[in-house]
Formats: sequence, structure tokens, C-alpha cells
Amino acid sequence: MAHTAAGAQLQIASHSGAEGGSGGGRSSVAPGPASDPVIVARSVTAGYENRRTKTRLIALRDVSLEIQRGEFLAIVGPSGCGKSTFINMVAGFVRPLEGTVEVDGQPVRGTGSDRAMVFQDYALLPWRTVERNVLFAMENRRNKPSKSEQAARVAEALSLVGLTGFEKAYPHELSGGMRQRVGIARALVTKPDILLMDEPFGAVDAMTREAMQAEFERIIAQTRQTVVFITHSIDEAVMLGDRVVVISNRPGTIKEVVDVDLPRPRLTGDAKGSLRFAELREHIWSLLQDEALGAQEAK
Amino acid sequence: MNPMTTTSSTSATTTDPAARQIGGGKVVEELQVSRFAPFRNTAITVVNLGIFFVIWEVVARAEVLNPLFFPRISATFEAMYTGFRDGVIAPQLGHSLSNLLIGLLISAAIGIPVGLFMGASRTADLILSPYVWAMTSLPRVALIPLLILMLGFGNGMQLTIIVLSAVFPIMVNCMAGVKTVDPSLLRAGRVFGAGRGQMYTKIILPFTLPFVISGINQGIARGLVGMLIGELLGGGGSGLGFLLDRAGDQFDAPMLYATLLILAVMSVALVQLMRWLERRVAPWRDVAA
Repeated sequence: MAHTAAGAQLQIASHSGAEGGSGGGRSSVAPGPASDPVIVARSVTAGYENRRTKTRLIALRDVSLEIQRGEFLAIVGPSGCGKSTFINMVAGFVRPLEGTVEVDGQPVRGTGSDRAMVFQDYALLPWRTVERNVLFAMENRRNKPSKSEQAARVAEALSLVGLTGFEKAYPHELSGGMRQRVGIARALVTKPDILLMDEPFGAVDAMTREAMQAEFERIIAQTRQTVVFITHSIDEAVMLGDRVVVISNRPGTIKEVVDVDLPRPRLTGDAKGSLRFAELREHIWSLLQDEALGAQEAK
Repeated sequence: MNPMTTTSSTSATTTDPAARQIGGGKVVEELQVSRFAPFRNTAITVVNLGIFFVIWEVVARAEVLNPLFFPRISATFEAMYTGFRDGVIAPQLGHSLSNLLIGLLISAAIGIPVGLFMGASRTADLILSPYVWAMTSLPRVALIPLLILMLGFGNGMQLTIIVLSAVFPIMVNCMAGVKTVDPSLLRAGRVFGAGRGQMYTKIILPFTLPFVISGINQGIARGLVGMLIGELLGGGGSGLGFLLDRAGDQFDAPMLYATLLILAVMSVALVQLMRWLERRVAPWRDVAA
């Protein structure tokens, strides 16, 4: 089920979840093999220029990737492999040095209301209450809905993440897991097409993390967004992703794109105990093992 | 999946404000606490100061130290009382306070916008920073002869030295505030559609506000020093510094100590006021993020 990348050029047009006809809610409604790519990266090289040392650090080299509408794409790789750079390009924070990144057929030029992001460090405004933090995602837009509509949407988003009753609390009064629920509610409140998640559960403790994953799977089954999810946890990538993109280090290139054919819902079911889960996990680990060891030697 | 957090306050004097506000899944338990508990710290302070003054009085009466520079505390309070009664202290105190406040207002009016500008614009920072840092580091006393030469002995010189003392710490803090804005908050602002103006009003300025306050706090401390050296060395014949100077000349130790006490109370009050303001403005900074 796992196709191996032929060099760095790699185009995956098929969507395994739909073929597999797996029992999960979202994958059965995902568009069929007739591809409907919403994010397209074409031979993208990205990095950071340092004018003082007159060098440029290449974070990603020659990456090509198509992400289908409604797909949950997990990107996994060692620290510093350029996976954050990829999501930052899709968000519109950084531009590729070479190649193009397109969203809905248009090259990305800066941020847009069709894309929302969940940050590893939550990035909540500490001087705002929970509900005003969520409101922040709407109030800056030019064509924002009416005040009452905004309030209704905030209440809806907060109830979706289970934070009803915490509207007036400040972020510093909440635990890490609850803060990230606020971050998720803020990203969902505008109902964006694309949800970009940069290691969203990286800073919460292990138990909360599993609970948040299960809840997030449930939420996405309801809202059916396209999700790009960055993580350095192989388990998390396999548990959540329709496909897992494995990125190798220095500079980042796509090592393999692995289709995850586990039925959904996975976290409330017993996917984690299944043989297939163990196989996929083992396979991805074997791909990353050399990287991890290589990184050790490099240090 | 419901968040369950149990908070029970164990401290006698404080209750957790978070626990009360949030409701939700938190549990708040009432505690039986003595009615006098809130006054405990005040009582300790009063007793502490009382003992201190008694020891002072006993040591001074024993004349272990020369009474010329160690008067009895009772004589000091008496000097303070007669000073206020005869209108010796109040006008000078008023002069110093109003000078300090006006000086601080001018410093804030200059320092806050310039500091914010320096934080926002790399070019402005590059151009202005050598002067700002030179003026921040230079001991203020060094400027006195020049200022007297330029402005004479009047109030203008005293005000100028206060402004020169207070404006740079305010400026530097404002600049630091803008420069240290959490980059992921800026990214969140961009993702959620904040324009340039909204980035300033909704993210950068609220983030900088506590820095502005601590800048003003440092400005007060430096401004007080500026005020005193202006009054002591400027020879303008007014202000608390003048009272100190004259009491010293007249070997009037009780008056000298009375003025020092007033100065101490004044500085403590100002610092406490700013601390209170800082907590009010940025309650999230007390809690580890």
C-alpha cells in the first residue's frame, strides 16, 4: 500500500481512503480518485537567506505534492527537516525560492481567509478572554458577518471544542490542552477550507495529547476540512492522517508518501491495537530510523 | 472528555481568582478564615515599624551616637509637625511633587512615541540608538553645570533635569516592548487577517503596554534622583532638596531626618502605585506562561 518515491519528483493522484471504502465517516465522502487537488506544490525549493553570511539555508529541496480536497495529510519528519517551512509556505508566511505553491489554482501570495492555522505554542492573545480570542479570527475581515452572527459562530466553535462555560476565562487561567482547544476553535470559527496545523499537540502532556487527538478526529469528521498536519510523532501521523508524507533531513525531501488504510474513527475505535497500525508505524519508523541515527552522528 | 480541574484554595489570605471566574468544570470550596486575616500583614508592618522607632528613640536618648546627626525620632516627628504647621514643608513638597509629575508627563509624552517608533522602524533605531544609549548611560549629575549655564537656577533647569532623567528609561523600555513581541502572535495576526493598523492596535500595543508601565516605573525612580540633584545642586531655593540642603547647613538634624522620611514615603508610594498598575494592566505576566 505504500508507494516508494521515485526520486524527489512525486505525484500522488489517487486517494486511498475513497478506494478502500473504509468504515470511517470522512473518508467515505472524500472525492474519488478523480483528483481535486486544493493545494499543489511543484518542485518547491525553500529556505532562508542570510545576507550577512551571504549564504542560504535550504530547508526543502524539489518537493512536489498534491493535497486533495477534504484530505487529512500528515507530514512527519525529524526536527529541522523543513516540514514547518512547507506549512509556512502554504500559509503564505514564506515564499519558495524556486517552484510554486498553489492553493485553489492560484499561487500563494500572502495569507488568506481560506486558510487558518493552529500553532504549537497556541499564539493566543493573553489580554483577551477565550471568546474574544476566537472572535479575533473574524473581526479583522473586510466582509465580516453581523455582530450577532459573529457571537453565534463563536459560541458554536467553542461548543465544538468543548469549551462552553469558559468564554470569559483568560488563556493564563487554562491548562495547555484547553488553550489549544481555544486555538482550534479560533481556526475553525471562520469555517476555512484549509486547516494548517503546526505540531498542535506538541506542547501538551501525553495523556491530554491522546484525548485531544480523539477529539480532533471527531471534530474534523464533522467539519470536513482539508487538513495539513505537521508532527514529529509517527503514532500521531498514522492515527490521524489519510496519507503520511515522510520527509527526510538536510535538505528536506519527500522520502515516501504512505497511504494509511485504517478504518475511521480510529481513536475511539481500536485502531491503535491493530496489526495494520503496527505495520505502518514500523514502516515509517524504518524510513526515519537512518535519519534519526544520521542526525545523532552529525552532532 | 470534559475538562475536570479541581481547585481548592489552601492559602488563608488569598483565593484563586481563576477558580471563581471560570466556573465550567472547576470546583471552588469555601474556606473558614478569620475575619482579621486580611489585616494580618498590615498589623505586622505597624508593629515592626513601632519597634523600629522605639529602638531608635532609646538609642538616640542614650546618645551612643552624636545627636548632631542622630536625633531622637520624637524630635524628628516634632520637626515634621511644626514644619507642616508653620508652612515650611508643604510648599516645598508641593513644588517637588508638581515638578516631578510635570517632568514625568513630558517624559512620557516624548519617550513613549519615540520608543515605539524606534521599536517599529529599524532605520529609526539605527539612527537614534547611539544618542539614546549615550544619554541613558550618562550619569545625570554630569549635566548639571551645563544646564545651569544654559538655563540658570530657575525651575526650568530643575524640570529639564527630571525630564532628561526619566525620558530615556521610558524610551528604551517601549522600544524593547515592540521588539520582543512574540513572533507567533504576529503570525497569528497575519493568518487571521489583521492589517498593518490592526497589527499595531490589537497585538503590538497591548503587548507593549506592560513594558511602557515598567519604563515609567524606572522613569519615576530616575526622575526622583533628577529632581533631588536639581534642587540640591541647582541652588534654586525651592523643593525638598532645598529643605535638605538648608537643614544640613543649619545643623538641623530633626528637620533633615523629617525631610528624608517624607522622601522615603513618597518614593515607596509611587513605586507601589506603579506595581499595582502593572498588575492591573497585565495580569497574565504574573502567571508562568
